[in-house]
Amino acid sequence: MIGCYVTGILPRPDELIEKTRAYDRGRITEKELEENFSKYTDIVIEAQASLNLSFVTDGMLRWQDLLRPFVENLVGASVGSLARWFNNNTFYRKPVITEPLERSGEIVKKVTYVEKLPKNRQWKIILPAPYTFATLSENRYYKDENELMFSYAKILNEEIKSLAESGFSYIQLSDPALTYDPFKSGIDKDTLSFIEDSLKLAVRGLKVKTCLQTFFGDFSKILPEALDFPVTHLGIDIYETNIEEVRTYDFGKGVCLGLVDARSSLLEKVEELVGVAEKIIDSIYPSKINDVFIAPNCDLEFLPWKRAFEKMKLTREITGKLEEKFLE
Amino acid sequence: MNKLFPTQEIGSLSKPKWRVKAYRGNPLSEEEITEALNWGRKLGISDLEKFAEILREKNSPKRRKAILEWSAKYAIKLFETAGLNILYDGEQWRSEMYEHVIRRTAGFEFLGYVKSFDYRYFRKAACVEKPKYSKSFYLEEFVFTKKNTERVVKVPFTGPYTLVDWTFNEYYERKLVDKIKDFKLRKFEARREFIFDLIKEVLRTEIKKLVDAGAKWIQIDEPAVTTNPTDEEMKLFVEAFNELVKGFNCKFSLHNCYSNYAVLAKYVCDLKNCSQLSIEFANRDSRDLGTEDYVRKGYGDLKIFEEEGYNGDYGLGVIDVHTNFIEPPELVRDRILYAAKIVKDPVRIYASTDCGLRTRSWDISFKKLQSLVSGAELARKVLS
Repeated sequence: MIGCYVTGILPRPDELIEKTRAYDRGRITEKELEENFSKYTDIVIEAQASLNLSFVTDGMLRWQDLLRPFVENLVGASVGSLARWFNNNTFYRKPVITEPLERSGEIVKKVTYVEKLPKNRQWKIILPAPYTFATLSENRYYKDENELMFSYAKILNEEIKSLAESGFSYIQLSDPALTYDPFKSGIDKDTLSFIEDSLKLAVRGLKVKTCLQTFFGDFSKILPEALDFPVTHLGIDIYETNIEEVRTYDFGKGVCLGLVDARSSLLEKVEELVGVAEKIIDSIYPSKINDVFIAPNCDLEFLPWKRAFEKMKLTREITGKLEEKFLE
Repeated sequence: MNKLFPTQEIGSLSKPKWRVKAYRGNPLSEEEITEALNWGRKLGISDLEKFAEILREKNSPKRRKAILEWSAKYAIKLFETAGLNILYDGEQWRSEMYEHVIRRTAGFEFLGYVKSFDYRYFRKAACVEKPKYSKSFYLEEFVFTKKNTERVVKVPFTGPYTLVDWTFNEYYERKLVDKIKDFKLRKFEARREFIFDLIKEVLRTEIKKLVDAGAKWIQIDEPAVTTNPTDEEMKLFVEAFNELVKGFNCKFSLHNCYSNYAVLAKYVCDLKNCSQLSIEFANRDSRDLGTEDYVRKGYGDLKIFEEEGYNGDYGLGVIDVHTNFIEPPELVRDRILYAAKIVKDPVRIYASTDCGLRTRSWDISFKKLQSLVSGAELARKVLS
């Protein structure tokens, strides 16, 4: 199939931002804040449905950052100091790991409006991948990062199974740390092997589709190893990746092409992005086309809501053009 | 400066309630007026009767202007009373370091809020046309400050790298769509062109006005440096700084904070005409007294700058601006003495706050600054 979806946290609409600021300053109650999260979640879900996105998320408006629901709900983890979110003027709170990680109950469902997701559409959930969770944490308990990564992957597996049972049919594991490499130091093969094993643990026994979504870095640097990762799709940030290098590989699995720039407010030319996608698809699927998803390259929360919605429309438009070309 | 460890602040002070409300055109309660006047008496400000009349006046452009001036006068006096040697006006004329400049420059359009973290956001603009100097953004406040103090004046000036990093770059990205096919290269070149146009068309014009009006020291604020720590980006920052300050008969310094100093240290030696590096350290340090390495761990990164061969001055952050903890003068003293051991020549150290004090109340800021001044004096005594 050729489809489209969003790949991360959506921006809070302006009116909701005002409410969260009012809450922060003690001017509205928690109940009022919650009512507003609920109201604007309806709006961002409807926005996705109106564009006929292939999978719909709840927008993740309540997520303070990608890691926070886990940090706040896992036994053994606590919320630490602010740290920069890769190379962005945006910050997250570091998970501080002081005891063995343990899942004592539902995590993601606590902050997800499952009941609001439309019954006539397929649902997608976005979670931190094991490598990114381990890399961004301050590990004060486990003997090394790998041990932490495996411990988290095991918990992630329980979490994903529960989400799948609730009706989520597409699981995205966001893994920016896997490709972000500002000092060009590269990632060694042993580490990639550990990452593959941790992913096996995270998706063990699952029947739903899974995607390892990379961003903020060059996906070609983890090839060919990534082609063996135990996920159905691989996500690529087109703005950071050496496309020519990617085109030299024959992909045996689906891709998510992060074609729409979520860190720029400029609305791209549809023809240009369609052309780029065509070239990639033609190269990586020389015989038979696999699943292809068109998406923003990362979370749209780097943009104000109105512009983010324009970018979502653009994503849909590009997908339509590609469907015409490849599925005619 | 002819004494060791001159004392300085970085720029901002919070805006008092009367300043915010009156500037918005809202009436003030008698309690708010009393509070304003009490601070005036505490700081030994004259003509308070006249100020009280202004505070009670109805909103008008004349009153709004007067409010800015009185607010700046108060901030200057607060710094003077605390005993600082080098100061500005607490940035009382500015809404915020980014928005103040962008709103007064042609070619930009504000798109809305984007998330910084949790429930904190910042208003982000897009560059939609080639930036053009429209009206001065620092000159008037500088002239006012100079007229109202005999102390050394250091002008905080938001740097080009930060202004560009915090702005969507629509105009230049669009311009290069048909010229550069590689997305990554296109974005980088668009960014580069944006920075150098901004410097040429806008920022150097403002610096010239400041220098012509008598500015002797301009501090370039670049908090965004090391956000993207790649070699290309860091070289771009260095090139931008050098281009910005080139040829002016004025002292320049760089302020950076909450940053990756291992990265910054590699490039600071390439900055030309940068006489002082003022950076945050207290935030990373313990509150224990002592001058041993294990106690003063927050200042360990000074060694990296020294090892890289940096030989300029330091604006040494010895006051944490993100906590209400009032650093005892003895703690300030030990932080300064520890740094003096590392940099060998104590003349290179200026005692400073980590960053602007805009998130602290005036009461807390005043106490912190008094500690800064007392701590510097204690350190001087030890070394004399």
